[in-house]
Amino acid sequence: MLRLPIDARKNWQQMARDYGFHFHTMHGQAYWDETAYYQFTLEQIEKDLESPTEEIHQMCLHVVDLVSKSEERLTQFAIPSDYWQAIADSWQAKEPSLYSRLDLVYDGRSPAKLLENNADTPTSLYESGFWQWLWLENNVDNNQLNKRADQFNSLQEKLVNRFKVIADYYGISYLHFACCKDTDEDRGTVQYLQDCAKEAGVDDYFVYIEDIGLAESGELTDLQDQIMSHCFKLYPWEFMQREEFGPHALKANTGWIEPIWKSILSNKALLPLLWQEFKGHPNLLPAFFESDMASMNALSDVKKWVKKPFYSREGANIDILENGKMSLSSDGPYGEEGFIYQAHTPLPKFADNYTLIGSWLVDDEAAGISVREDKSAITQDLSRYMPHIIL
Amino acid sequence: MQTNSNQKRSSNIDLSKMRKAFSFKPLALGVASVLLSACSGGKEEAVVFKNVNDCADALPGMAQKCEAAYKGALAEAAKTAPKYNSKNDCEYEFGRNQCQTYNSNGSSIFMPLMAGYMIGNLMSPRPYYQPMFTSYSRYSSYRNNWVGADGRNFGDSRRSKLSVSPSAFDKKPAITRTISRGGFGSSVRAKASWGSRSSGKGWGG
Repeated sequence: MLRLPIDARKNWQQMARDYGFHFHTMHGQAYWDETAYYQFTLEQIEKDLESPTEEIHQMCLHVVDLVSKSEERLTQFAIPSDYWQAIADSWQAKEPSLYSRLDLVYDGRSPAKLLENNADTPTSLYESGFWQWLWLENNVDNNQLNKRADQFNSLQEKLVNRFKVIADYYGISYLHFACCKDTDEDRGTVQYLQDCAKEAGVDDYFVYIEDIGLAESGELTDLQDQIMSHCFKLYPWEFMQREEFGPHALKANTGWIEPIWKSILSNKALLPLLWQEFKGHPNLLPAFFESDMASMNALSDVKKWVKKPFYSREGANIDILENGKMSLSSDGPYGEEGFIYQAHTPLPKFADNYTLIGSWLVDDEAAGISVREDKSAITQDLSRYMPHIIL
Repeated sequence: MQTNSNQKRSSNIDLSKMRKAFSFKPLALGVASVLLSACSGGKEEAVVFKNVNDCADALPGMAQKCEAAYKGALAEAAKTAPKYNSKNDCEYEFGRNQCQTYNSNGSSIFMPLMAGYMIGNLMSPRPYYQPMFTSYSRYSSYRNNWVGADGRNFGDSRRSKLSVSPSAFDKKPAITRTISRGGFGSSVRAKASWGSRSSGKGWGG
């Protein structure tokens, strides 16, 4: 695993405009960065990332099974009780999932360690599935990269195939898509998924989350008063479950993608449960609930802990606890539901950057990786996206 | 480019389909998708009939298919036609006496009368069909045109033979009356007060 400099393609910003990649620069800072790339060996990809990703996913599904059947666990996960039955039903019915992204700490040598599972609303999908693929294609064509350079990236074709499976499962020929207003990144991610669905022969309708309506018949509607029989939502279940229309999300009989059983996976309470069930697994970090300080203290070789809220995204509200003292923390709006502690493992450093791997799954198959870099040890939403190759 | 035998990436991505400017207004998105489907070609023949007799006259020996498609189109019309709170609003768009009541959970709303039905793939055992509407209102851009339930304009309603893209026969979502909106999104409003998330970044992870 190497970080290598490369010249940016001269026309990449024009290409970004042509292809509709509008969030390559955010808050005046580069988000897409092609002045360098990461190079992996095929063995690193297959042995250290691809296989562990699928294995971790299976362990996560084991936890879903456990939690969905236990009121005590559901309570511990701070999932409102009104949704327990729906979660159990959705899990029993094996409602199809579309995709997930595991965040992994990986340095090219040691086993990758799971930091968290973005199972409900992962973004950076377009730049992973399409844009970095285009970058590779261009640079190979321009002789900037070796002709044999490959990329771990079958995301787009797996997404298209998965939409076919989901359409068959529900017997549908069209699907609604929804995300929040005022975010280019979310809208771009959803538009990309709409394109993938269209490619799969599924018609797409779009509505903003804030515009979703309730019909007198109890169904949910878009702005054209069309009933949303099935909907992909780039909006977290934990938000929906605490909002006015939350109960209607269930009563309306809408088929949701991601399905509601995924609210167990996108919750960081998943991490202590994984450790409890698969203690010592090479791809897991020790993790405990806040209430279980005794177990933390018993692991005397772990000097540093990371305190994470059950629900948080993009590195918000994360504290690093060193010998019982807070050493680094990030601000944010999360944390009212509870916290977990996870053993700290440093992100590898490449040329002054902390590097984080996002490993994608479409349903239960590993489908590619994304590489993010940050100057800070906590990867925040301003970290940069770097392309990668296999050589 | 040369490819490895055990390549780890998608072997084939259709660039032309990805070349598109995202637009963040639903209306403009609709325009973009119409333009796109227009370039993708693949038109097929469709015929619009005003009623079952029209159809049976034009297609001897196919009366049963005409009848089945008509009934299917009527049912589809009830589901997918635009719905209005008042008769006035409906007639403003479609013209006087061109609207009927539609019973939705005990209360009455209004929808245009089906003016005809479009049939495609005629020779197959199960032809496709779609309800068609037309407007007699001088306030409407649909005046004297065939229009689909989703507002797609198929041109002059004196014409009965149409060349349409296959998507014209796609199943459409049912339409109903919405009684309230805004029941999702409050968590975002609450959390957006923190930090500098006013633009760009979203709520995914």
